[in-house]
Amino acid sequence: MKKKMLAVLLSSAMVLSMAACSGGNQDGGSASSDGGETETSSDDGGSDGGGSYTFEVLVKSFQSTYWQAAVQGIEQACDELGVKANANGPANESDIADQITMINDAIQKKPDGIGLAACDASSVIDSLGKAAEAGIPVVCFDTGVDDAPEGSVYATVATDNASAGAVAAENMFPVIEEKIKAASSSAQVRVGEVNQDATGLNIQQRGLGFIEKMIELCGGADKKVAVVGNEFYVNASKDKGTVDEKEADVIIEVGVPAQTTVDLASTEAQKIMSKKDTIAIFGSNQTTAEGVITANQTLNKLATDPEKGIIGVGFDAGTPQKEAILNDQFIGSVTQSPLMMGYECIQTLNKIANGEDVSDIPMNGYWYNKDNMEDDDIKPNLYD
Amino acid sequence: MANKKAFGKLKGREAMVLGIIAAMVILFSVLSSTFRTYPTLVSVLDISYYITLMALGVTFPLITGGVDLSIGTGLVSYALIGGFLIVHQGVPVGVGILACIGIGVLVGVFNGVLIAVMDLPPFLATLCTCMITRGLGPALCGGFGVSWPSAISADGAFRNVFKFTSDSGTVIPIGIVFMIVLVGIMSFVLEHTRVGRYTIAIGSNKEATRLAGVNVKFYHMLAYIISGLFAGLAGVAYAATYATIYPGSGAGFELDAIGGAIVGGVSASGGVGSIVGAFLGVFVICLMKVGLPFIGLQANWQQIFTGIVLIAAVLIDVIKKKK
Amino acid sequence: MGDIILTMKDIDKSFPGVHALDHVDLEVRKGEVLALMGENGAGKSTLMKVLTGIYKKDSGTITYEGKEVEFKNTREAQEAGIVIVHQELNMLGHLSVAQNLFIGREFRKGIRIDDKKMNEEAKKLFDRLNVDIDPTETMSNLTVGKQQMCEIAKAVSFDAKVIIFDEPSAALTESEIEEMFKIIRDLKKKDIAMVYISHRMDEIKVITDRVTVMRDGTYVGTLITEECSKEDIINMMVGRVIYEDPKTESAVPKDAPVVLKVEHLNAGKMVQDVSFELRKGEILGFSGLMGAGRTETARALFGADPKESGDIYVNGKKVTINNPQDAVNCGIGYLSEDRKRYGIVVQKTVAENTTMASVNDFMKGIFIDKKKEKEIADKYVEALATKTPDVEQLVVNLSGGNQQKVVIAKWLTRNSDILIFDEPTRGIDVGAKNEIYKLMNKLVAEGKSIIMISSEMTEILRMSDRIVVMCEGKKTGEIDISEAKQENIMNLATREIE
Repeated sequence: MKKKMLAVLLSSAMVLSMAACSGGNQDGGSASSDGGETETSSDDGGSDGGGSYTFEVLVKSFQSTYWQAAVQGIEQACDELGVKANANGPANESDIADQITMINDAIQKKPDGIGLAACDASSVIDSLGKAAEAGIPVVCFDTGVDDAPEGSVYATVATDNASAGAVAAENMFPVIEEKIKAASSSAQVRVGEVNQDATGLNIQQRGLGFIEKMIELCGGADKKVAVVGNEFYVNASKDKGTVDEKEADVIIEVGVPAQTTVDLASTEAQKIMSKKDTIAIFGSNQTTAEGVITANQTLNKLATDPEKGIIGVGFDAGTPQKEAILNDQFIGSVTQSPLMMGYECIQTLNKIANGEDVSDIPMNGYWYNKDNMEDDDIKPNLYD
Repeated sequence: MANKKAFGKLKGREAMVLGIIAAMVILFSVLSSTFRTYPTLVSVLDISYYITLMALGVTFPLITGGVDLSIGTGLVSYALIGGFLIVHQGVPVGVGILACIGIGVLVGVFNGVLIAVMDLPPFLATLCTCMITRGLGPALCGGFGVSWPSAISADGAFRNVFKFTSDSGTVIPIGIVFMIVLVGIMSFVLEHTRVGRYTIAIGSNKEATRLAGVNVKFYHMLAYIISGLFAGLAGVAYAATYATIYPGSGAGFELDAIGGAIVGGVSASGGVGSIVGAFLGVFVICLMKVGLPFIGLQANWQQIFTGIVLIAAVLIDVIKKKK
Repeated sequence: MGDIILTMKDIDKSFPGVHALDHVDLEVRKGEVLALMGENGAGKSTLMKVLTGIYKKDSGTITYEGKEVEFKNTREAQEAGIVIVHQELNMLGHLSVAQNLFIGREFRKGIRIDDKKMNEEAKKLFDRLNVDIDPTETMSNLTVGKQQMCEIAKAVSFDAKVIIFDEPSAALTESEIEEMFKIIRDLKKKDIAMVYISHRMDEIKVITDRVTVMRDGTYVGTLITEECSKEDIINMMVGRVIYEDPKTESAVPKDAPVVLKVEHLNAGKMVQDVSFELRKGEILGFSGLMGAGRTETARALFGADPKESGDIYVNGKKVTINNPQDAVNCGIGYLSEDRKRYGIVVQKTVAENTTMASVNDFMKGIFIDKKKEKEIADKYVEALATKTPDVEQLVVNLSGGNQQKVVIAKWLTRNSDILIFDEPTRGIDVGAKNEIYKLMNKLVAEGKSIIMISSEMTEILRMSDRIVVMCEGKKTGEIDISEAKQENIMNLATREIE
């Protein structure tokens, strides 16, 4: 355990310095390398880094191993900076009301700052107003709150989901390019996408990011695209140059399970993968990517060669997905960096507490596959 | 045999549910060419395992006139703890499985004590244990999800109990064989042993059963222990069939099982029901779960449709009773 | 008369606030039927529960077959040969007859229950008792009478030496009671001792050998049935004389206006072509055996159950009654035989129950006028002599008779002129019964009209001005009280049976 922790800390420090450098934020960079150096003596808290602030952090849920990495990043930043953060969150991402209660409780504790991954962007607005009145700075991470009251949210640390979705399309397209080029309205090919739900902003943006990029790439190959399946995605992509299903060369089919469970996600995946013209499929979060893998246990259709089977691409991590990549079922997946988001959230809160200026930090989606899974800038994000 | 009229009635109900299943299979097959394939059948069976196991168990509390709402969040919780022990604490898979089942039994005992000994209404008591189990798993496992060892890993042999992949890559859903064996065993328990007889008796008239000198508290409790035991088994089946167990999920799973049992003729007011009926009823639910997406019905409509079918099933009972 | 098999001596039992049994004695002999009598709450059931181990006695001794015993539960008592046939039928409706008979002591082969053997044994048992019941039949498909037979058969199957009947005839028809008596006489010959708890004086006279009377938790005395009169027993029970003289002549003038006329009412098998008239100030008795269709007629008339055809006239005007609300608007009130299910809301106060059917008259804007509600409730508590500390008392705390009065108050508040009393004194003790009778007489004197459904012959003969007799869903006759006799009523009530 200890060894592992050490590796994670070291590597994440490096990631951080790179990310910080690319963001042109020299302060962050030096702070993190300080952290890297003081890591060995983290027992005495490294309290030389400034005042010992206390922050309240609210994650969306403990439903996914995704948050394991985020909490790890939070703890890591705390160790480095010698600050304290209490992480809390509802049992389920859909327990919006529970989270509101937790935010309000957090405000009552008068912390030096609040880190928030909001379950529901519009529901937290009142609470954010209260935080602003109480003079408690808030940093949103993972999910932004667009209509946040003036002066409440100081910065947002979040993955740009649209571009992360696009990363999946960009990496999938070259593999299936030949198939796409050979497609016509009489010999259509089908690209599937399974999204966990049609209401969460993250998933919506990610799903649409993939669809839009795929439409753009197919357009580059002179192919017409139709989007079918879930009403939301069909309607949302109407103005992106799609055509009627009959005229299309390429069909993008979007499946959304009735409940966010693996069994139903796998049914959606299976429905698409059972179709003869399906050449690729994208599961846009951990649950749906595992749905694709589960469906394949029965169908046995996924392959890394488009001539031999369906090309699979996932999102986020988790053991089953990592195994799928290692076993040539997925060609790769896109990972966010929950660890970095948690880490950056605390860093930003600390800066605010120190009176420094801060700005939004957009986080990238990173493509990973068999070849780079062990790389230092990727591995820490690939939680089990 | 012992009970010609009641038996005859149940037979009718089971035949009706079989008819519904046949009609659904035909309908879905006509509407979707991809539905009528072998992998789809396997997928229906995959989904059916954990729901069937829950239904076999929850039929007992239902027949006593109660209900067990804790099985859904329970099974996820047990699977989470079992998986946590295997993956993070390094215990052998077998021990993890036993832990999963064992905790299920313990929660069943807890429910049983609340209901049979302390006289809490079953709905309330198990609603509370539903909340407890929902938090229990994540609390004990640090709040994070767990993936049990996969089929290809060294410790993944247990998955083959439900879905056996031959060397040639053919998938054989042998789990259904075990389900049928369990249906046989539980049918026998319900119809030909004292446990089953007293379960029905309690659902029929608890006070009269007590006055007959039956240890009502024990057998009432036993119904919930059976339910807990099968929730634990369902946890194993769920972990074996699917990849990652997510903490906090599982709420609503119990409704699939209870709904299935009721479709299969188990009366929510107690005293009436058969294991075979519950088993068949579960398949109506599973066919809808798999079939509705295949015929192109989108998420929201699937839920509406499922709700309507459940109302229809309960209505049949109410109308029958009125006649 | 045989030897003493069971003696209970100086039995004392207290519950918090109640001295339920105060040094009670009881003695039962082999081959006799001992009546155990007393008003509701006299302690009969408590005594039997102490005997069979459901309650633990505070002091006293029980001697059974020469040995002092104390059973821990009913099972121990059963094994020793003391069995209760309960007042509320202890049947398991979803199980078969044989499964019911042997519940708790099934025959088994390994862990498997041997249903075949249970059916055979049940058959043998029924043959011995000369009862015709199919052991494989589902219990809930049997008539109440047959179910009672099963209960008795079950008691016998325990090799019982003492059988306690707790109001066994309450739900039985006359012919079913007769059948039960046959079995009891059989059992007597087999030297079995029986304790027979009942309120029905006629039965006591017919079937019992001795009568032990209890009052307010104390032992009053024991009489030889043959040597005592009804009045003797009743005097011992209540400590006062009860007049049970039948009414000889109707006080209603022959030309009193008809307030309710029902023509050719049809509602399923239980109500076939029923017609009758009710006059102002009259009590119209509805007599008949259990299952004759009297309650069903009342429910169809009241709109509680759907009817197929039939015309109803109130005060000469044809009315449409499709639901109880219509009936209430026509001035009809229905006092159900099952008060707890249909008559009152036990967890509400006397005042709230009183105004329940006429809440609209007690509204002040959107709120209920509590003051007005209390006034009217107080008024009826006084007028009906309802025994309650105040009108804010929860109805659940009142006795059966007083609960009935609250129901009456409810309909009087609603200004109902036609009241249907369905078994108005069921489950009410003798003293309270009399008060209800007085009250009914007072109501008709004030110009109300009453339909009274009753299974008690004495009640019918005592209260009615006219009597409608029904049998198997049909009206079989109508008798003026001046001509009514037990014999001719029973004749009409059983006309189609045979």
